[in-house]
Amino acid sequence: MKVDLLQMVEYGGCSAKISPKQLDEILKFLPLPKDPNILVDIDTQDDAGVYKVNDKLALVLTTDFFPPVCSDPYEFGQIAAANSISDVYAMGGDPVLALNIMMFPAAKLPMEAYADILKGGFDKATEAGVRIIGGHTIDDFPPKYGLAVVGYIHPEKIITNAGARPGDSLILTKPIGTGAILAGHRLGMVSESDLTEAKRLMKLLNKSGADVMKKHGIVGATDITGFGLAGHTLKMAKASGVTIKINMKDVPLIGNTYKLIDDGCIPGASFRNLDYAEQDIDFATDLDYNLKMIAFDAQTSGGLLMSVSEKIAGNVIDDLQNNGLISAAVIGRVTVKKEKYLSM
Amino acid sequence: MRIVDTKGQLCPAPLIAAKKALKETTVGESFIVLTDSKTSFDNLSRFLKDNKAEFKVSESDGIWTLTVTKENGDRVETKVEDYCDPVISHFEKGNYVVAITSDKMGEGDVELGQLLISNFIKALKDLDKLPQHIVFYNKGVTLAVKDSPVIEHIKDLEKMGVEIHLCATCVNYYKIENNVAVGNLSNMYSIAEVMASAGNIVRP
Repeated sequence: MKVDLLQMVEYGGCSAKISPKQLDEILKFLPLPKDPNILVDIDTQDDAGVYKVNDKLALVLTTDFFPPVCSDPYEFGQIAAANSISDVYAMGGDPVLALNIMMFPAAKLPMEAYADILKGGFDKATEAGVRIIGGHTIDDFPPKYGLAVVGYIHPEKIITNAGARPGDSLILTKPIGTGAILAGHRLGMVSESDLTEAKRLMKLLNKSGADVMKKHGIVGATDITGFGLAGHTLKMAKASGVTIKINMKDVPLIGNTYKLIDDGCIPGASFRNLDYAEQDIDFATDLDYNLKMIAFDAQTSGGLLMSVSEKIAGNVIDDLQNNGLISAAVIGRVTVKKEKYLSM
Repeated sequence: MRIVDTKGQLCPAPLIAAKKALKETTVGESFIVLTDSKTSFDNLSRFLKDNKAEFKVSESDGIWTLTVTKENGDRVETKVEDYCDPVISHFEKGNYVVAITSDKMGEGDVELGQLLISNFIKALKDLDKLPQHIVFYNKGVTLAVKDSPVIEHIKDLEKMGVEIHLCATCVNYYKIENNVAVGNLSNMYSIAEVMASAGNIVRP
């Protein structure tokens, strides 16, 4: 039996995240633990938590899981694992260990699909040098999969979303558009080549981008996932106390993403993200509506967004492109804080 | 009247149907979109509003009816958002960049030089074609502070759509980072990029 996971879900991937607005309202009521060894917590809305073990070692902890983004169970496993590990790379850490998190409808799907998802996750984790040493499965519909990941990092070499400085250039390592492409695919609006490219990008580990960051001593970065390019850039601007200007015309897009959006293929998650972020954004009057909505497109396993000092931006782009991230581009710049945190 | 029935469909399908109808409708004509999902209704409303389409709404028994009338032009223009300052309307731009490298214009008397640069920046606003960008570097950045005599003119130029770039290194060097009142701090890479892609560079 050929399993098609997409038949089971309404929203896939990071589109299925709860609205950031609702999340903020709930998190307000949860006290943050106080501990001097907590180096990074949810306070700055960063990608992962960091806990100092000693002067030379801190642990990066993160988890992520979501419903299927593609039909094939093995590919879904690979994408979910790459996405889960990405937060460790975004902080400059080396991912080491992981646990599987799985929800699987045993009565509705053959067990081969279960095995294939896990195999996809295992292979992607192995590629990243991560050992999966356990996990937990619940019988639930629709299926969901991801990892809880632990990484190592030197306590003084943490890359955070609070590290953007005025004058920096903003570099994005992967093109965007996975949200629109996945939604359009389900409506038969996407070419095979665009879908293949989107899947290739979602499976692509952010390891090569992270290696380039470490080589150049970059201190400010995040990864682009469910809140979209605009949402994650806004978090970075807030955490860093700066204003960031994104030039949407310079943002690399996957295949025919622009045409898709122009045809109205704007997933619901884009509106949720817009609703959350727009009060902090200064939209240029001549900003193209489609490019605006692309900025809010929820990405699954998106690229790294780095804030890079003026002197090295050219070299960083060269290094990224030489490491296979051929679409890497400068997409904006950081300025002193103005009235709004983000402009586009 | 054309009826676009999106009942039972989830986003983005209703938007796609509405956008298609909007493209195919002639100016002044109307069509109806039906939806039975609150989320789809919210997103449709937002989408139509952002696309400057006039629409009326009624709801009964969990079915929303949006009567959409197409306005202006044969292309669905998806521009102007009213979030920010009222902007001075459309200005044409030429293929050139202005580089302000000093707080004075020309050699000679200091006071005269300062007066001239003020008049120059003010005059830019009246040109038939505005510059694409104005780049301020070295002592030029000091013109972009709060109490600069030309600050209002530079702000006007920015509102008219001219991109204002301030050399970040220079802003730091002259220690005016807390007084900058206009423009974006740019690194040398962006400045070089702007200047290298300019048709002409005008240096007063």
